[in-house]
Amino acid sequence: MYRYDEFDHAFVKERVAQFRDQVERRVSGDITEDAFKPLRLMNGLYLQLHAYMLRIAVPYGTMSPVQMRKLAHIARTYDRGYGHFTTRQNIQFNWPKLSDIPDILEELASVEMHAIQTSGNCIRNVTTDQFAGAAADEIADPRPYAEILRQWSSVHPEFSFLPRKFKIAVTGAPHDRAAIQVHDIGLQLVKNEDDEIGFKVYIGGGQGRTPMIAKKVRDFLPEEDLLTYVTAIMRVYNLNGRRDNKYKARIKILVHETGLDELKAQIEAEWQHLKDTDLKLPDADIEAITKYFEKPNLADRAEGWAQLAQWKKADAAFSGWIQQNVGPHQHPDYGTVTISLKPIGGVPGDATDAQMDLIADLAEEFGHHEIRVTHEQNLVFPHVALADLEPLYRVLAANGLATGNAGLVTDIIACPGLDYCALANARSIPVAQEISNRFGDAERQKTIGELKIKISGCINACGHHHVGHIGILGVEKKGTELYQITLGGSADENTSVGQIMGPGFEPEAITDAIEKVIDTYLELRVSDDETFIETYRRLGMKPFKTALYGEKTAA
Amino acid sequence: MSKIWTKTGFQSENEWGFLSEGAEYLSVEDAKGSSDTNLAVRVEPADDVHALSDKLENIALIAVNFSAFADGRAFSHAALLRDRLGFKGEVRAFGQVLLDQVPLMLRCGIDSFEVSDEATIKHLDAGHIPGIEHHYQPSMNEPAKANSYSWRYMANSG
Repeated sequence: MYRYDEFDHAFVKERVAQFRDQVERRVSGDITEDAFKPLRLMNGLYLQLHAYMLRIAVPYGTMSPVQMRKLAHIARTYDRGYGHFTTRQNIQFNWPKLSDIPDILEELASVEMHAIQTSGNCIRNVTTDQFAGAAADEIADPRPYAEILRQWSSVHPEFSFLPRKFKIAVTGAPHDRAAIQVHDIGLQLVKNEDDEIGFKVYIGGGQGRTPMIAKKVRDFLPEEDLLTYVTAIMRVYNLNGRRDNKYKARIKILVHETGLDELKAQIEAEWQHLKDTDLKLPDADIEAITKYFEKPNLADRAEGWAQLAQWKKADAAFSGWIQQNVGPHQHPDYGTVTISLKPIGGVPGDATDAQMDLIADLAEEFGHHEIRVTHEQNLVFPHVALADLEPLYRVLAANGLATGNAGLVTDIIACPGLDYCALANARSIPVAQEISNRFGDAERQKTIGELKIKISGCINACGHHHVGHIGILGVEKKGTELYQITLGGSADENTSVGQIMGPGFEPEAITDAIEKVIDTYLELRVSDDETFIETYRRLGMKPFKTALYGEKTAA
Repeated sequence: MSKIWTKTGFQSENEWGFLSEGAEYLSVEDAKGSSDTNLAVRVEPADDVHALSDKLENIALIAVNFSAFADGRAFSHAALLRDRLGFKGEVRAFGQVLLDQVPLMLRCGIDSFEVSDEATIKHLDAGHIPGIEHHYQPSMNEPAKANSYSWRYMANSG
């Protein structure tokens, strides 16, 4: 993985000192709360319902055991013994004191971490495929490009006060696990007929109150043009994005209101001026960054094949975990392992300090010192020998970390909701917990198969409900919480926005409603292999609506 | 009360007057039609600075408006004036000019500042400019190339 050089160390140190100075000037009254707000947000510091919340960047979701131990230490020392992994592959702490923040930032800097641009109207943490550098279907590793984008976007002088936040995602595989089509910029690594690396470029995707699927603006952007072209997009957006209404300020609205062809022409015109400037990437620099991401030395471990077959035969729970949580690796003797942070009935994405410490130890013992955070709020070891899966599983299982539910109905994304968030209209976590408990039986989950439920506690859609196969949106109506259901969303290479089913449900009724939707799917699917989303795409909303609301409403 | 600040300190005199106190600069539209020289022009957030491209020789000062501190369009205006149009005259920030934005403004090619926020004046006067020396992007104020990747620079200490 990427390691800081002297330049990076010096930069983060200066950034910490800068923020310490800003906090001091806020305390002394030299900065008003209004003017301080964007400054603290650009350093990941939110004011929530009950306390400050600090969101720490995990660049493209990659971290080392040393960094994970530091997060455990921060959870223990400055917070309440746990942290929460987010859909931007970051981690947030919900209870730090303002006066402790500069010290926390110094602790983070000591392990090459920071909270820069995890919030605010600037370029946010660049996200990517959690299996980058390991997945069997990958065309090229997206992390070097994500790292170049991370560096280039850090404290950018021109793009730190954008109309609104700006999110970039990169995928290196045709099967998109990074949800690039719901990002402000989505980049897909491709090869042209001369076997050269470049990007398919999408712009204007996003969720929030106006969900939109990104539009393609380039079929093949050579890799050397990455920063010049992204700069052109950013400049056109900075100058022309709407600033009169924050709900219409994302680039998706600019694309929509300007028209794709016109906006594309503006970007290309700007790019003509930029393409041969200092931002054009030299091959040597791309190679130097790529070197950081070389695969660990993975020795052949062919003995794992036979062992794995035996272990699976002997233990059904282990077998189920392998089935769901272990994926194909580029090396046939290895697999990618998803460590579920979705225990049945638990809070999606939470990990205790002890769990974080344990995961750090296990990454050293079995995982070649690499840990990933997924946008679905789980953790991943990208390189585990098949021969190590059983001992790894035993330790995970003993510590509540071996739930074999990756991609299943209980692998729920949920925003923090009204339990923490000042913007929320409704609670998300208790809904996720109740659904998880209802469907927690391993056999039942397996029967239902792949199904992504995503829950947001307000229209800002941090829980990605628009792209859930089943989405749940909490709204507030006359002082009570109400939950709307959407069906048919998806955030992979076939991205779609879910459709609202009908009137919402009260907290006591939402889990029953979800169960009815799922039972309807089980009745309607043509075979056990037809997934929920396939059935929905084949039949549409109507049979689900009829089941939930009766014939009359559905007509 | 407003003051004009540059990297050499606060100016005791200001030929063009203070925009915050009603000084009248030409609009971009008026500057386009003027044949005078030694002009002072104000650029509003929604303006297109390219409209000034064939008048730059006649312009001494272009003031870019940070109508709100969170409105970042003037950063791009300044960068385009310097980088695209090659404007060599004075580029001045006015409007909500606050201390923590000053380092970024300098990097976008702004070289004078009409400041009215008292705390900002106090800190600038004390030589306290809270910037970062290590840059991951080019800037318009002639930073030095870092001995590293092509996109890295060190602040110009001058």
